Order: sequence, then structure tokens, then C-alpha cells
Amino acid sequence: MLYRIAGQYKTSYAADHALFPVRQDAWLLGVILLFAFVVFPLTASDFTYQALLIPVLIYSLAALGLNILTGYAGQLSLGTGAFMGVGAYACYKLVSLFPEMNLLVAIALSGFFSAAVGVAFGLPSLRIKGFYLAIATLAAQFFLVWLFQKWRWLTNDNASVAIQVPNIDMFGITVAGPNARSITQYFFVLCVVCLMTWLSINITRGRIGRIWKSVRDMDIAAELVGINLMKAKLSAFFVSSYIVGVAGALFVFLWRGAAEANLFDIPLSFRVLFIAIIGGLGSILGNYLGAILIVALPVIINTVPAAIGITISPSMVEHLNTMSIGALIIGFLIVEPAGLARFWAVIREKLILWPFPH
Amino acid sequence: MRALYKATLLSAVLAAAPLALPGAAQAEDSVVLPNLSYRTGPFAATGIPLMNGQRDYIAMINARDGGLNGVKLDYQECETGYDTAKGVECYEKLKSSSAVTQPWSTGITLQVLPKTNVDKIPLLAPGYGFSAMQDGKTFQWAYNPPASYWDGADMILKNISGGNLDSLKGKKIVLLHLDAPYGKEPIPLLENLGQKHGFTVVPIPVGVKEMQNQSAQWLQIRREKPDFVLMWGWGAMNAGAITEAVKTKYPMDQFVGIWWSGFDGDLKLVGDQGKGYRSISWSYPNSEAPVMKDIKKYVVDAGQSLINQAEGEFDSVFYQRGAMISMILVEGLRVAQDHFNTKVVSADQLRWGLENMKLDDARLKALGAEGMLPPFATTCADHTGHSGAWMLQWNGTKFEKSSDLLQADRGEIDGLVEKAAKDYAAANQPWPASECKM
Repeated sequence: MLYRIAGQYKTSYAADHALFPVRQDAWLLGVILLFAFVVFPLTASDFTYQALLIPVLIYSLAALGLNILTGYAGQLSLGTGAFMGVGAYACYKLVSLFPEMNLLVAIALSGFFSAAVGVAFGLPSLRIKGFYLAIATLAAQFFLVWLFQKWRWLTNDNASVAIQVPNIDMFGITVAGPNARSITQYFFVLCVVCLMTWLSINITRGRIGRIWKSVRDMDIAAELVGINLMKAKLSAFFVSSYIVGVAGALFVFLWRGAAEANLFDIPLSFRVLFIAIIGGLGSILGNYLGAILIVALPVIINTVPAAIGITISPSMVEHLNTMSIGALIIGFLIVEPAGLARFWAVIREKLILWPFPH
Repeated sequence: MRALYKATLLSAVLAAAPLALPGAAQAEDSVVLPNLSYRTGPFAATGIPLMNGQRDYIAMINARDGGLNGVKLDYQECETGYDTAKGVECYEKLKSSSAVTQPWSTGITLQVLPKTNVDKIPLLAPGYGFSAMQDGKTFQWAYNPPASYWDGADMILKNISGGNLDSLKGKKIVLLHLDAPYGKEPIPLLENLGQKHGFTVVPIPVGVKEMQNQSAQWLQIRREKPDFVLMWGWGAMNAGAITEAVKTKYPMDQFVGIWWSGFDGDLKLVGDQGKGYRSISWSYPNSEAPVMKDIKKYVVDAGQSLINQAEGEFDSVFYQRGAMISMILVEGLRVAQDHFNTKVVSADQLRWGLENMKLDDARLKALGAEGMLPPFATTCADHTGHSGAWMLQWNGTKFEKSSDLLQADRGEIDGLVEKAAKDYAAANQPWPASECKM
């Protein structure tokens, strides 16, 4: 009913290759974008922006970057947190060295620093695979966080060895720093994330994406049909680290406002990896679903007991929260091991057939 | 098609529902005093007694006096687990109703501090946060009474050198610190003083992940053979360091901690072997003081407290320090009530109260806390107050005062504060500065 595809004829190759072969998908996306651009900004409070909307978007973007590497090109990485850190520190140095630079430009440029570091640490991927590669990227994680702590130049000799985001104006509106309004930050993040998502969708379903997928599925076969493995793997590291670096710059500049090196330590890498795995490796949509589950749900659960009038101590809420999120993750993975994106795909298949399943 | 619209409408309602949740309504005759607590996570062991102390002092005021001049004090906790992201989430959730922010972590302070000028909520970080917050002209909304980390570092050096820092010439001092903004705070001052008086400072960081197992750090300490080890530790790091020091037989009388490294529970683990360990402290536990007796009578004996009585938490340094922290806050509220002749104090008025506190001996006596807190007074330009502190020493079963009230040497510190405040303001342009003409 909802997803009735009868009557939607494809009369050209272009129509067959369209981003949304089924019209309802486009409508659904339209509704989601309507919410993101119009409904949420009209209803959200500062708390909603800072604790739900902005972090979900930024974590989705980071997971998207990781997903390109791990889900599409099949290279396992545990260094996402550190690559986010490279983006954030690069953006900080760019902004403090060139105060006139437009923040958008600074963020776009900082992605290249992270991409370069990502490619350097991706070099071992030419020789090793799987868990061995994961260990190599783990080295990046340890090394970079150590570097953030020791290299005082990165933090402009800050006494607490932390970076703090100054007030940054763009076209007369403060977009970052303590004086920035949450709604401006939200729109900034939303636009960047939308742009990145659009780029990623088109990269992953095009020629480069198919190369990555063939390397992921069987690299020897890919090499035999003439794919240059080095180019394929390193380009995956480049694109992935670029997106992760942009996410890192947004993470500090548009959300946290200040950061210390420990922030980019392993827990962050794992968090992003969890989002990508639970959302679904090798999918774009999954990153958003995963981020909603891992980032937003705990915040919402935290407010539930107070909202329905039960008074339990905040630490108890925290314990319950950790337990219920853990149970949910395990539950979801048992029901659908391939992640939330696959879960949605199954629902959609059923909706197309409904109400006459055969 | 209609079903599609229905589904859209339904999802709209569902999606909008959580957006409307936060922001609890504020009662007319109460002041909301939130606390970003941590009763979970790696720092819970030291967090719990402090937060119990804060909670119980306010519960006592509400039970004994029916609130502060008839205004109920609404103490609320928001759990952070010492996690910066959660702390900011709590801050955003509470800022619409709260009169004060108590961040309880230097990392969270770092995030919230720039927002204080915008949201206009005072930030109270008694004995923690940035040392530079002393400069009230720059940090108009931040308060760290009664003493800052730089005060603490200076007082420790004074005590171990016997009053004359020049006697430390040629000595080696290790700073064993938590590898976080908090632990790094004293480094600039110690290095400056080291250059001036001719001693070397060796900072040895302890990562959050290696707090429980510090064998590598203590191996380095053994190799360095320092004359003194200073500790800026917190949570599980304190217990780890003290047990490791006992294990490696480091002389305890050369091992000195900042006030957050003087937790009874950590030293009870080693008991007699910890004899001689010192910790500087701006509070002193006295269970016989009238204020503590009142807490016992109205809160603990009434079954309203969360403390672990069997473990002797009531007598501990941290529990009673928590009570002192709430006492400072309530005193700020009272000053504001008097000055503005109002009952329900707003965040803006509380700011005035916090910078016009005068906790002299007479006032401390009236509050029933004589000898538990050194007298101090804050002003518009001085947000710390510089009470000074006592050196406490572990005697095998509890902490005892081992010195008279120490005072930090202002010369070196004030210069650093001025520079740090100026740097901070320059890095965060435009940063409003106050003239402090009163």
C-alpha cells in the first residue's frame, strides 16, 4: 500500500539508474529533510540541539567516513578517533594562523590533513589485511593521541594543553565559539553533513565505489581483472579520512567548543565503529540509524523517568541506561546481524509486498 | 495515499515528542542548585563522599531552618560519570532553571567557562577549575574559592621546604599527575618556581587508563630518586599511587598530595604503612563542630543521607569538605538575599553574592564551622579569596593537622594569573572584561 511500486515504469537507462528508483523513497527522504530543515529548528530547544541533533549529525558523518573504509573497501580501521583529532587540530591551527579564513574553508581544508595522515597510516594495508591491519591503525591511534598531548605548538601553548574554539563569524553571523547560537551551529552542521552524504552516495555507487566493493569482496580477483589495488585501497583511506577529519573539525568547532587530547582516544574510535557496525557496514543510511541508537537514545532514555514522574537517583538512571542500551544493541544484532540498515531494507521489502505477501 | 499522510503525521508527532521534554518548571519559592555529580565511573570513589556532603548540608538547611530565609533550596544532581560530553549535556539541560553551575571537573569547566558570559550563570568550582579564574576582571562569572591549585602548589612547596623555598636548591621534585587538564594545572607555576629557586621539576603523567596500575611510573620515580613526590591525583589514581608507593617502599614523608589526593578511603587501604603521607587541605573534618552535629541530627539520624556509616564516611575529609562547599554556596546565596532584599535569588544576583562573601572567623563561628574552613573573603577582582590551607598528615588511622595555616606567596602566582587570564581572553575574542569599580 504505502510502498506500492505498481505503475512506476522505467523507460530509460537513466531512470533505471536514478538515485531513487522507487518514488516513495524520494518522498520519505523529502519528509526527513523537511523535518531536519524546518520542523526541528522550529521546535527544538538548546538542549535538543546540543545533546541530540548536532551530536547525532556529527557522529553520523564520522561513521560515514569509517563506513567507506570498512564497509565499502573492506579495510578495518581502529584509528577513527585519532583521525578526527587530526581534523580538529588542523582546523584549530588554520583558524588561529589565518583568522580571516572562512570557517567553511578551514574545515574543508582540515579534512586534507586528516586524509594525508590517513593515507600514510593506510600504507600497511597494501601488505596486511583484517585484524593485522586493525593493529596497524591502532598504532595510529596511540601515536596521534600521544602527539596531540606532547606537541604544544598544536594547542598554541595552552596551559591546560587543550584547544578552545574562539568566536568565529561568517558573513556577520557567529557560527562557532561561545557566542554562537545553537540553531546556527545546527544549520551549519546539517548543510555540511548533507553535502558530504550526497558526495558519498555518488562516490560509492559510481565507478570508484564499485572498485572498492570488488576489493572488499575479493582483492585477488579484483587485481586479476585489472584493478590497481594500491590506488583502490589508498583512495579509500583518503576519502574516508577526509570525511572523518571534517567530522572531527565539526565535532570540536560546532559542538564541543573545547577539546583535550584524551577526547580522541580509543573510546571515540570504538564508539564510531559501533555506530557503523550497528547501523550496517556498507550502507549510508545505516550510519544515521546507528548514530540515533548509540548517541541519541541514551539521552532520551535519561529523560524518561523524570518525564513519567518516577523519582530515582541520577546515578541509578545512568546504570539503567547503560544496561538497556547494551541489551538493545545485543537484541538488534540478534534480530538483524547485518545492522539497522538491513533491518529497514527488510521492512521496506515487506511494505512493497504488503498487504499481499506470497 | 491517506495512509501515507497518517503515517507522516504520526511520525511527526513521535519525532517532535522528545524535543519538548527538557526544561523543568521552576517553583516560585525555591532556588535550583544543580550539581554535575559523578557517582559512577572511574572517579566515583572520591566523587560519592563529596557529593553526599554537598547534598546533606543543603538537606540540613532545609530541614533545620525550612530553607534559607524561607526559600527552599532545591539540590539536583545530574550524573556525568566525569565524562565531558555528558557534563555539557547536563549543563544544557539545567541551564534554563539553575542559579549556579558546579561542574566538578576541570574538563567540563573548560567547556562551560566560555558560555558563562553568554548564559549568565555563575560557575562555582571550589578548589578546582582554572587557577586563573582568580582574576575576576576577566572571569566575571567563574569562582574558585577558597584556594586555587597554584595556591596549593606554592603552599606544599613552602611546607616541605620548611618555609624557605631556597632550601630546595638542587633538589628534585617529581609531579605525579593525572594526564588531564586538572593534573597539568600546577606545571607552569612549579616550573617557574623551580627556575627561580633552583630545583628541578619532573612531571610524570598517569593516563586515565593506567590509573590502577602505575608500576611504570613508579619505576621511573625509583630511577629519578626524587627528594619529593607531589601528587595531583583523583579517583582511582590516588589509591593506585599510594599502594604502589608502599610497595616500592618510597618514604611516605616525602610524598605529598593536593587536596583531592587526601581521601581517607585510599589511605585506609594501606593503614599504618601510609603513615607520614601528607595532603594539603583547605578544609578540616571536625565531627564535633555544631554544623556537623546538625547534619548528623537532621539528615543522617533522620535517615535522609546516602552515606555509608559503617565505613566512617561521616568523619572523612571528603564528606565534610563537600559540606563546606555547599556552605560556601549557601553563604553566597545569603549575601545576595541580604543585598538585593529578595528571597528567590537569580543567577545574576548570586554572582554578586559570590564575589562579596566575607567568611571571617565570626561568620564561620556563627555558621558552626569554626576551624573547619580557614577564613576568606572574595571581591570583584579576586574570585578565589586565598584562604590558605593546612597540611594534613595521615597517622595510620586518620588525617591530622600537621601545620599551622599556610599562606601562598602571591608574587609569583599573581603574575602567572594575570598572564593566563590575558592569554585566555585574547584567545577567545571578543571577551568581555569588567572594570571592577565598586
